[in-house]
Amino acid sequence: MKIPKGTILITSLILAAIITAGCTAPTDETEVPDSIKIGLVAPLSGGASDVGNDMKQAAILAVEEINADGGVFVKDYGTKIPLELLEGDTQTSPTEGVTAVERLITSENVVVLVGGFSSGVTLANQVPAAGKVPYIITGASSSQVTRRTEIDTSYFYHYCSTTDDYSQPILQFFVDNLKPLVAADRNLKLALIYRDDAYGKGVIDSSIAYIENNDLPIELVAQEKYPTDETDFHTYLTKIADAKPDAVYTVGFVKDTSSIYIQGQRDVGLNTIYMAVECNEDPAFYELLGEWGNGQLLESKFAPYAADYTAMIKPYKEAYLAKWGVMPGMMGADTYDGIYLAVSAIERAGTLDRTAVNDAIKQTNESEMLILMEGGNIAFDEHNEISPKIFIEQMFWNNETEELRPVIVLPENLKSQDFVLPDSYESGG
Amino acid sequence: MAEITTLIQIFIWGLTAGCIYVLMAVGLNMIFGVMKVVNFAHGEIMMLGAFTSFWVYHYTGLNPYFVMFISMLLVGIFGVIIERYGFRKVQGTGKLNEIFLSLGLIYILQNAAVKLWTDDIRKINSPFSSMTLDLGMMNITYDRIIAIVFTALILISLYLFLTRTDVGRALRATSQNHEAAMLMGVNVNHMYMLSFGIGSALAAAAGTVAAILTPFNPYMGTIPGIMAFTVIIIGGLGSIPGAIIAGLMLGLVQNFTIFYFGGAWKEAVAFVLLIIVLIIKPTGLFGEDH
Repeated sequence: MKIPKGTILITSLILAAIITAGCTAPTDETEVPDSIKIGLVAPLSGGASDVGNDMKQAAILAVEEINADGGVFVKDYGTKIPLELLEGDTQTSPTEGVTAVERLITSENVVVLVGGFSSGVTLANQVPAAGKVPYIITGASSSQVTRRTEIDTSYFYHYCSTTDDYSQPILQFFVDNLKPLVAADRNLKLALIYRDDAYGKGVIDSSIAYIENNDLPIELVAQEKYPTDETDFHTYLTKIADAKPDAVYTVGFVKDTSSIYIQGQRDVGLNTIYMAVECNEDPAFYELLGEWGNGQLLESKFAPYAADYTAMIKPYKEAYLAKWGVMPGMMGADTYDGIYLAVSAIERAGTLDRTAVNDAIKQTNESEMLILMEGGNIAFDEHNEISPKIFIEQMFWNNETEELRPVIVLPENLKSQDFVLPDSYESGG
Repeated sequence: MAEITTLIQIFIWGLTAGCIYVLMAVGLNMIFGVMKVVNFAHGEIMMLGAFTSFWVYHYTGLNPYFVMFISMLLVGIFGVIIERYGFRKVQGTGKLNEIFLSLGLIYILQNAAVKLWTDDIRKINSPFSSMTLDLGMMNITYDRIIAIVFTALILISLYLFLTRTDVGRALRATSQNHEAAMLMGVNVNHMYMLSFGIGSALAAAAGTVAAILTPFNPYMGTIPGIMAFTVIIIGGLGSIPGAIIAGLMLGLVQNFTIFYFGGAWKEAVAFVLLIIVLIIKPTGLFGEDH
């Protein structure tokens, strides 16, 4: 049978058109979505809502920056798609957190989750996402969030310090910098005061393990845990003062830690060195402490008050301040980075398929952003954890400006001065 | 064995913690004694008192202890409005309605406070915050001394009001027997409003004292609210002397428990105390047997 040349030509053109279209434009099945949904898991109400708001404000800032650039390029659709941030309010409660995450996954159909503050709350709310939705956890320090064995943790990424990460530099700082000044010929006497929750216990357990495993010259003279809603620390601190410590290591959030610093020095007369953990890197901490923070310490991995130590710090600080009228906190910085990590993974995956995005997050190898990394690159290890660089800051009260501001005293390559004992310091003897 | 100076310190801390419980519990008992209504949102009224003081202090710069009286007045008026347009409407329709009304108020007031003042952590800067009295064995801040003195003054004023004025006697009469009070010409509806107003004003005083001593946010009232209930049950429902004794006792017991057994037992010991009292005297320490 002889096929007319015209028919062959037309058929060829149609086939070519179909093939070409298949390569460059979506079919009905791949209709371009209006937005890419990212779920923010944060305590927007309840006891930790101050931190949750920082996370939310930072996430909104990141999303607006990305959308101002047209959104996220997704290869499957051949175009940029704007981000849509959906909030999941944990209400600072494990049960409410589960409900919030379930809603984000099932009703909102988010591609990726970012956030999660408080280990106790996050250990509960990550369960609905197990093995289903990638979750970049930016605010829960317990290493259990990626190491627990009773659920599938292959979709969880720990983009913040673990309790191990910051116990070690804190204790080493005490040994290297405080002990020579106050307890050169004996063990350093250390008191611990911590929240009675998964976070507090996690930090304390890893600290004790680090002291024992490394045979550090530290004697633990007091260990006091307090209910998470505690506001009156006088009796705890009186008991600690009885043990005559050389330093007090506090593991709590902004409200409790600032109260411990103030009540300890002002009311109980425990004029020692206090060390706070990184979740206190927040404007409210400096504001609440005021002059009672003079000479005291804070462990952190984000120090916007101290210095513009990387190129990203200044523009972030200015943009945050311009948009929200307040300085950024550390938990927000983690979350800001977390949004960009999610976006990078979606772009590399080229699809909104959760499994492919999860694989892309796992293979992350990006330059550090707001949070500095040991080695300079963001990469997840076999436990899906990062290696953040930890700072120790010493705070000083400025009588002229009537502000409390920190300087970096560790690490060596970023510090602006050495640690000095505050004038009011009284040794444990 | 702890040194005596340490034990005296713990006693002082317990006493000041007890002052807040006392103000809360006496207010709660005023309401229950007269209206027989259980207001579960009493902790949130306390929070409202703290924020009202914060707000007035922030905009006027007045001394926070003076501001406390303005807050007591404003929150007292708010309490009157809640009674008139809330509890009055459901009174007598069943205890469940009263309970759910007060439970609903918890969420409404918390959310309203978040909307009005955000849930940032706040503090009220007392002009005495850095001043301490050196007692030799310990320092005590002026703010703590003022808290104890103000609590005592407020309670003495309340006692005088209840025992030396006609309105106070009418309140006590209503508390003892509504019908008899009505027959004697007492307007019991006015007494309900007054008791709710006074109870709320006392909660506002507690909130302001707490806000001067420690940072706070809109969720500050939850635990003190629960503890106030524990106090009035230990002291005896409706008994103001019972609330005073039980409030101070709870503050002391909790602080000595922290010292000897650790903070994990702080809240548990309140309920241990409650159970012991209820087993020995089911109507509470100063409650009347029926």
